[in-house]
Amino acid sequence: MRVIQWLICIFLMVAAAPLLAEPGHIIRPSDLMDEPYRDAAPLAELKAGDPVEIIKRKGGWLKVKSAGRTGWVRMSKIRKGKATAKPASGSEAKGVLDLASGRSGTGNVVSATGVRGLSEAELKEAKFSASEVDKLESFTVSGQQAARFAQAEKLVAKELEFIPAAER
Amino acid sequence: MRFKLLLTLLLITGTPPAYAFDFGGLIKEVTKEPEPVSGKTPQQGQQPGLMGLLGGTPVEEEIAIGREIAGRLLGAAPLVDDKQLQRYVNHVGAWVARQSGRNDLKWYFGVIESDDINAFAAPGGYILVTKGLYKRLRNEAELAGVLAHEIGHVIKQHHLKILKQGQLIDMGGSLLKQKVGGGGKGQAIGRMIGSGAEILARGLDKNAEYEADRIGVVLAARAGYDAYALPSVLQEIGHLSADDNTVSLLFKTHPHPEKRLLELGDAMDAHADRFEDGKIVADRFYRLGKEKKPQ
Repeated sequence: MRVIQWLICIFLMVAAAPLLAEPGHIIRPSDLMDEPYRDAAPLAELKAGDPVEIIKRKGGWLKVKSAGRTGWVRMSKIRKGKATAKPASGSEAKGVLDLASGRSGTGNVVSATGVRGLSEAELKEAKFSASEVDKLESFTVSGQQAARFAQAEKLVAKELEFIPAAER
Repeated sequence: MRFKLLLTLLLITGTPPAYAFDFGGLIKEVTKEPEPVSGKTPQQGQQPGLMGLLGGTPVEEEIAIGREIAGRLLGAAPLVDDKQLQRYVNHVGAWVARQSGRNDLKWYFGVIESDDINAFAAPGGYILVTKGLYKRLRNEAELAGVLAHEIGHVIKQHHLKILKQGQLIDMGGSLLKQKVGGGGKGQAIGRMIGSGAEILARGLDKNAEYEADRIGVVLAARAGYDAYALPSVLQEIGHLSADDNTVSLLFKTHPHPEKRLLELGDAMDAHADRFEDGKIVADRFYRLGKEKKPQ
């Protein structure tokens, strides 16, 4: 019995290892940096379409392995999953956009057993539930309670301006 | 391996069919009283009252409309029966909302029973996230980012503006043939919102979604969270297939996550210095247990 437990343990450890790194790909040319900072040293140039293994994220940077080298790339230059279509040729979003245009129109598809969706048709027919909205309101939290909650994890409020849309 | 996550909004509405096309009372009141009944000046940056037809201040009207919409959405998908979860989400939401400048609102957050991946905002501070989306979140910063996007819609009054526009169009179209009058405040709201929670299935302009994304990351960062948690959620949802039923409404009502990531990524990269040192808060994150058997 114990042997089986150990075997299961070992199996899980081995099986879980590949899950730690996720496949991804570069969508725009970018440098692989040795540290997650803008002025860090570049290790290599990556081009659109290059496959990477994503190891972890730190702020706006992803630690990746690419062609045997490990370093950091801006998150905005990477997408998860393998590259589809031909990237870089004008529209890097093309592969995904093709996917998106195949969206199912109604959202009203009969779902698998036990799956509870929220389709357009269901929304249209929705009837007001006074008891549920009362319940929702009963869970509200005051500003003071929220501040204590934030303090418990040392979350400190900062003053920051909103950001404008990217220039195109 | 499936990764999914997402956000969305909806507004909802539903009116008893008998009132659905009855704008008579509305028109009468509006033509009589073009100014807000309260006579108060709307706060800067806010929509003026809906012509006073609901008989309250602009903020009271906003809340009454949002409450009706949220109540209808809850009629279709009730709250998950887990008080701890709901309280937790309200703590995170309230802390982020406090950074939004709308402290005149109470703000209500909830997780609803649906395997869809989506989130909804209604005017007045009513925000609902589906269980399907919640279960794909990995830490408190991701939850904060999702809620912050929805808070962005509320503070920019995206849905309220649409409702107002719709109201004007409807009035124009029905002015000539109206004879019916009356209806209380509730009916006036019902008429404005339309049928059921349909308004939530309609979606907003794509620029409103990009704007809510940009506001969302800043609100999360103001609250001390890792601002990149929202784009991380978008990354996960982004590679879900459009054929996946759980994202069909989300993808219908929002630009594809890929487009959102491009817009948001560039906007954030230009101001990366503002988004350093945020917290993930993984340990405290309230994880949902194994699925209970559907009843």
